[in-house]
Amino acid sequence: MIVPMSHILAFSGAMFFMGFACVLAQRNLIMILIGVEVMLNAVGLTLVGASALWGQVDGQIFVIFLMAMTSAEVSISLAMVVYLHRRSKTLEADAFSGMKG
Amino acid sequence: MTGDDLAALLPILVLALGSVGLLLIGAWFPRRRTLILTGVGIAVAAAAAAAFYTPPVEEISGLYGSGLYARFFTVLWSLVAALVLLLSVRYAVELGFAGGEYTALVLFGAAGMSLLSASTSLVGFFLGLEAFTLVFYILIAFHKGDPLGAEAGLKYLVLGAVATGFMAFGIALIYTASGTFHLPEAMEGITAGARFRPIGLLGWGMLLVVIGFKVSLVPFHLWTPDVYQGAPAPVAGLLSTGSKGAVFAALVTLLAGLPADRSDLIPILWVLSAISMVVGTLSALRQDNVKRMLAYSSVVHMGYVMIALLSGGASGGRAIVFYLVAYAAANLGAFGVIASLTGAGGEPQTYDDFQGIGWRNPFRCAALAIFLLSLAGIPPTAGFIGKFGIFYAAMESGYGVLAILGILASLISLYYYLRVVVLMFMTFECEVDHARGGISEHSALTICLGAVVILGILPGPLLDLIAALFS
Repeated sequence: MIVPMSHILAFSGAMFFMGFACVLAQRNLIMILIGVEVMLNAVGLTLVGASALWGQVDGQIFVIFLMAMTSAEVSISLAMVVYLHRRSKTLEADAFSGMKG
Repeated sequence: MTGDDLAALLPILVLALGSVGLLLIGAWFPRRRTLILTGVGIAVAAAAAAAFYTPPVEEISGLYGSGLYARFFTVLWSLVAALVLLLSVRYAVELGFAGGEYTALVLFGAAGMSLLSASTSLVGFFLGLEAFTLVFYILIAFHKGDPLGAEAGLKYLVLGAVATGFMAFGIALIYTASGTFHLPEAMEGITAGARFRPIGLLGWGMLLVVIGFKVSLVPFHLWTPDVYQGAPAPVAGLLSTGSKGAVFAALVTLLAGLPADRSDLIPILWVLSAISMVVGTLSALRQDNVKRMLAYSSVVHMGYVMIALLSGGASGGRAIVFYLVAYAAANLGAFGVIASLTGAGGEPQTYDDFQGIGWRNPFRCAALAIFLLSLAGIPPTAGFIGKFGIFYAAMESGYGVLAILGILASLISLYYYLRVVVLMFMTFECEVDHARGGISEHSALTICLGAVVILGILPGPLLDLIAALFS
């Protein structure tokens, strides 16, 4: 491998936690979903790197599964965003706090 | 993939293709009752296919097993889906659900659960888990007129999406450490002295967090009560039985691959189990909403199952499988009674809604009382045999403290379960009027009741079958 695995892991780890920080810090639903996308792309990068490290295609095949799954998840979550916006005219996550206990 | 692999996937294909077919038919012939009852037929057909057809291969493409263990859980989740659909027939008409979409989603969810229970590879694990998680994103918010449903759907969606990210990263790290997705070889990356051991351990930790989230162990349980309260009652029933049970079934396979020396994992699982039982019990005591009480009680029950998982070995595995069956029957029945009482005014949820209704709806309320007693573990119900198995396995493998904690939690749980029974039957004054329930709901409740009572009196045949799964 031209790029050492440790570099790939450091980069994808940083990307994963930037995405996670975005999910935690942002209160807008769209921004939260973007954070999740960044997390999942960091996963893809790790898998491709590991696939090259071990000289197998398994990891790359899993990346394709991951892409298909992600697009399904995005379409469902965007449908949910539209539905929530119609209901309550806001996409701030804090506005949805009717249940307690 | 060969023809033999496809043949081994037969029950899953029945569920998935049946689901797609119903979705298409529902677009042209939106007749709720017919569509949902057809869905029941498809689920039963899938269960029959899994039970009576011996697959030609032992493993499908290195992703899913097709042995007895996998077939047993395919039968179980297909039957659970059939019962959920039976419980939804009148409910869906009452609340105006789209019949085709609803049925298709429940069937597809059952396919995902069956795949997850059968997974022998981390890729299979991921795909199975995601298949039914995506289904639940939609099903939880399925009642469009209910603001609580929208909120519950949002909470499950955001937390579930983050959990997906963690799970995928955990799997990627395990793959980096071991170079394979297949179980149990993938676990070799974390044996002492392995080249990438820290990375493998980190991946394992992330996977464990996600599993804790999916089966709602404390401290990852915060979504559970809100989602149960907001979701439609039959969907909450499916969520609390199928999705959690399937994750535990996969976890048994996952942990079987671990090295014999598990000293770094055991303390974590021990603490998760203990605090789930303690925090779940204390939170359930102060609820005034039956669905939230059942949510916290499910946290406690998952703590019990964790004890059996810790005990490990064949007796631990047998205890888990029996407990999952007993828990599924009783919990599905409890949510089913709530669904059958639902009328135009919405679901009966608060304790006031249950005041004195026992004498107006004797069969369903007596059934609810028996389901709750089974959850509490009173003989002669299935819950008692299940708990006995778990505590016996715990004593056998030296987890006496956890067993005592579990028995104490069961004793305290009697208070919050019996409170509902007392409310229903100890007064004749009844100010609320609930739906009378349809014939499909009564038959589904009868099946659950039969399972709870028969497994409590005659657990032998099922125990023998489960013993065969592990031999």
